[in-house]
Amino acid sequence: MDHRPFEDWLLDNHTLTTDQERQLNTHLRMCSSCAALAEVNLALVSVRVAAPAAGFTDRFQVRLASKKQALRRRNFWGFLLLTVSVLGLFGWVSWPVLKDLIQSPVNLLASWISSLVSFWGSLQAIIRAGMVLFKVVPGFVPDYVWAVILFAAGGWSMVWIVSLMKFTKYRQGV
Amino acid sequence: MTDETTWIIQAQQGDDEAFTKLVETYQKPVYNLCYRMLGEPETAEDAAQETFLKVYQNLTRYDRERSFATWLLSIAAHHCIDRLRRRRFTSISIDEDEEGQTDLPDRSAPDPESETAKRQERERLHNHLQSLDPTDRAAIIMRYWQDCSEVEIAQALKLTVPAVKSRLHRARRALADLWEEKPAHVRTERKPYGSPAF
Repeated sequence: MDHRPFEDWLLDNHTLTTDQERQLNTHLRMCSSCAALAEVNLALVSVRVAAPAAGFTDRFQVRLASKKQALRRRNFWGFLLLTVSVLGLFGWVSWPVLKDLIQSPVNLLASWISSLVSFWGSLQAIIRAGMVLFKVVPGFVPDYVWAVILFAAGGWSMVWIVSLMKFTKYRQGV
Repeated sequence: MTDETTWIIQAQQGDDEAFTKLVETYQKPVYNLCYRMLGEPETAEDAAQETFLKVYQNLTRYDRERSFATWLLSIAAHHCIDRLRRRRFTSISIDEDEEGQTDLPDRSAPDPESETAKRQERERLHNHLQSLDPTDRAAIIMRYWQDCSEVEIAQALKLTVPAVKSRLHRARRALADLWEEKPAHVRTERKPYGSPAF
């Protein structure tokens, strides 16, 4: 049996003319498939909203309180575990130094001061070399190269900002 | 500013009392969606409670430019779809009505037979719903029980509007096929149709 256009009328919820209604009713008397669709439509538009048992909000509050308590407990144990782990790791890594510090603190202190002085000397040498280069190199670089570098830096910053905005925009929904 | 917007803002700032008001306002639509999706009152209660917990935890992410009801129902629908996917099999009680009580005819109703017939029709529809694909089921429930537009359903279920239309058509056709399987003696007399074509 040809269900068209009756099935489309039923599925699309068309507003029907009197003549179309008559045609549809005639078709529905003969076609069990379209009649079932019409019955489902009727059943769907007369549905009833189910309500939860009384005290839903109270039960939710109890559940929320228990969830919060569980979260607090988890956070406490998590923090404790992390602290113990960090302290343990720190102790394990720094044990050779701590051992020296306990056995001969003066030698260890002298060694640290010597390293610090050496580091400071190296840093000053690097700064001096950098200053010299900073004064000399710009003279060798043509102006258009500076323009290209500035343009590239600007473009890169734009890409960076747009990417950050795109990825940090929160999504609606679950 | 509406009461709802005020409650949302207060709840976003950590006011649990304001959130409770939102729960009171939306408990029925959320529970109904879960019940129609999952088929059992106990599971629906649990799913509805979990939905509100998820909403509570994610409330700061809610965009006030959008409808709160749609956002809430979206969370409920996805929660139920996830549960159905995890569920290996379903065992739906056909002896319970919407409130989870035994299906007895309402003696105080003007026409108890007609009331019983209507109740049976509702039960049949509810049982047939359980055989639909979870997303199709969610679309049907949001359309007919929650009165959502196709655009709102599309937003909630993360689908396009044509996809929602197609799913609604498919689901109603599937429900009609199941409906047709009913024995002839049980079939209720169909009333003549008016416009629109319902």
